[in-house]
Amino acid sequence: MFGFFERSWDPAAKHCYVTGGSQGLGLALALDLVKRGAHVSIIARNQARLDAALEVLEEARLDKTQQIHAYSFSLATFEESKAALDAACAVHGGRVPDALFFCAGASTPRFFVETSPEQLEQTFVDGYWVQAWSALAAAKMLAKQRAKGVKIVFVASTLAYMSFVGYSSYAPAKTALRALADSLRSELMLYDADVHLFCPPTMRTAGYERENLTKPAITLAIEETDEGISPEDGARAILSGIRSGQAHIAADFLTHLFRASTRGSTPYNNPIVDAVLGCIAWIAVPVWRRSVDARVRKHREDHERYLQTQGFYDAD
Amino acid sequence: MPRWNPAGLHCYVTGGSQGLGLELALLLVKERAHVSIVARDQSKLDAAIRQLEDVRVDESQIIRAYSFSLNTAEGAEAALTAASVPHEGRVPDALFLCAGSARPGFFVEETPAGLQSAFDNVYWVQAWSALTAAKTYAKQRAKGKIVFVSSTVGLMGLIGYSSYAPAKHALRGLADTLRSELSLYGVDVQIFFPPTMQSPGYENENKTKPKITLKIEEDDKGLSCAVAARGMLEGVKQGQAHITADFINTLLRATMRGAAPYNNIVLDTIYACIGNIALPDWRRGVDKLIVKHRKEHEEYLQQKGFWND
Repeated sequence: MFGFFERSWDPAAKHCYVTGGSQGLGLALALDLVKRGAHVSIIARNQARLDAALEVLEEARLDKTQQIHAYSFSLATFEESKAALDAACAVHGGRVPDALFFCAGASTPRFFVETSPEQLEQTFVDGYWVQAWSALAAAKMLAKQRAKGVKIVFVASTLAYMSFVGYSSYAPAKTALRALADSLRSELMLYDADVHLFCPPTMRTAGYERENLTKPAITLAIEETDEGISPEDGARAILSGIRSGQAHIAADFLTHLFRASTRGSTPYNNPIVDAVLGCIAWIAVPVWRRSVDARVRKHREDHERYLQTQGFYDAD
Repeated sequence: MPRWNPAGLHCYVTGGSQGLGLELALLLVKERAHVSIVARDQSKLDAAIRQLEDVRVDESQIIRAYSFSLNTAEGAEAALTAASVPHEGRVPDALFLCAGSARPGFFVEETPAGLQSAFDNVYWVQAWSALTAAKTYAKQRAKGKIVFVSSTVGLMGLIGYSSYAPAKHALRGLADTLRSELSLYGVDVQIFFPPTMQSPGYENENKTKPKITLKIEEDDKGLSCAVAARGMLEGVKQGQAHITADFINTLLRATMRGAAPYNNIVLDTIYACIGNIALPDWRRGVDKLIVKHRKEHEEYLQQKGFWND
């Protein structure tokens, strides 16, 4: 069964493909993989960041034979995502990577009523399509090549399990990624591939700084007790989760609580642990939610004043 | 919480010319609501209006049909504006977003256009209406209700649904966020998870559905649209955040609650306990079926020319 035989997964000498690999979680993961002897391809858009990342990875190189490369591609369309994958596989004889880590993504939280249709669409690209297109390219490739044992890891967020004010563009995309991971976990069994989902909480990265530029104040206030994790914590959790064969991987207690109370038909990580988490969540989550709901309701007047100053009520 | 009563309220139903949307519209007309139905096909809308008129209770009821495509922001906005005209431009009191269609298939056979259009026809077709409604509620300082329609596969992923499940899950992510956020404007948000419904949409869906998916679903008789609509309306009236009308989806709902409120804490806890045992058990059976299906799947792909290049 899933997981029992995975304890031996070792990235050494395996080709690992990491999107969003020039910073944050992606870079931390790429670094970890290089240190374990993997061949690593990192994909991102910004060439300068890729160059800097490559230097970091080179310093950690264990072995002359490791193939460590960086490729500049956008992942916003299928064509570009496929081109990125093809480019990275070229130096490996066109073979599909042994493991793919989709760390690409960005979040731009806003009030729903202040979001334009273009912004809503763009955030879906940033939150969902930049991983889904890579998944489509990879699935077709591994099926065509009849490659066995390929691992695919999606990176969503705690917001794939639950949501609140401010995340109307982000939570739907991350919840969708959860569903894609679950559907593909099921379907890619046809090709002996494994699919994992990692849901990090706040991660202390440059991406998080950018996110906070647009984030509504009430959202920040609700999150303020969430210390978050470092990208290195995240990378460690992913690799440990793959070795344990976990369908859904989490790195912090709160996300584990939400994971256990939003499990549906997803496999559990450990039946006893998950049952205990479920019981805790049964009490703790409604308490948390009621307090969040109360804060949002109290915020109504402030919010109306805010919209007023933004010119929201002025005639179009 | 007081029971929601549609009598005298303007109810806006997308996907209202057939299936679940039409059955819901009929119930709302019978309960003395003003009803606007929105869909694309004018002839289906005409036929639907005749059915709605047949069950009219009161002369004063405003019952209208509007032909719009809802998978663009512009279309959704135009539709909502048009429907508000007979109501002095006031935003509807309740929106029921029943529009949506599915085309299941194998992921490796999907085209990018196919994946994108699955999202357009399932997620955006409801999200655009929600966006324009939320803005209008806020601008008009009006209270109201938005009800999304997801699906069993908004509560779980399964082979064959890799294009459809993400979009149906996204609706749940949106509904949960808006349940929190639109309380800033006094707007309720709810979401319904119907199972298979015996409808023209379902016949269509089964044309492309992989055999293995059909096999996994073979025991699921589903509900008639009329029964589903009744279940949906009852859940709306009770103010339930997540609404289900059949046992399996109730088990899924109780184990997929995230941070959404309980419908009934005692019952939901019992369902969650049952679900947390029954669902993994069911899924293991499904996983075995899929692994056994590998060879047949390879033959199928071979025959479809998957390896010809």
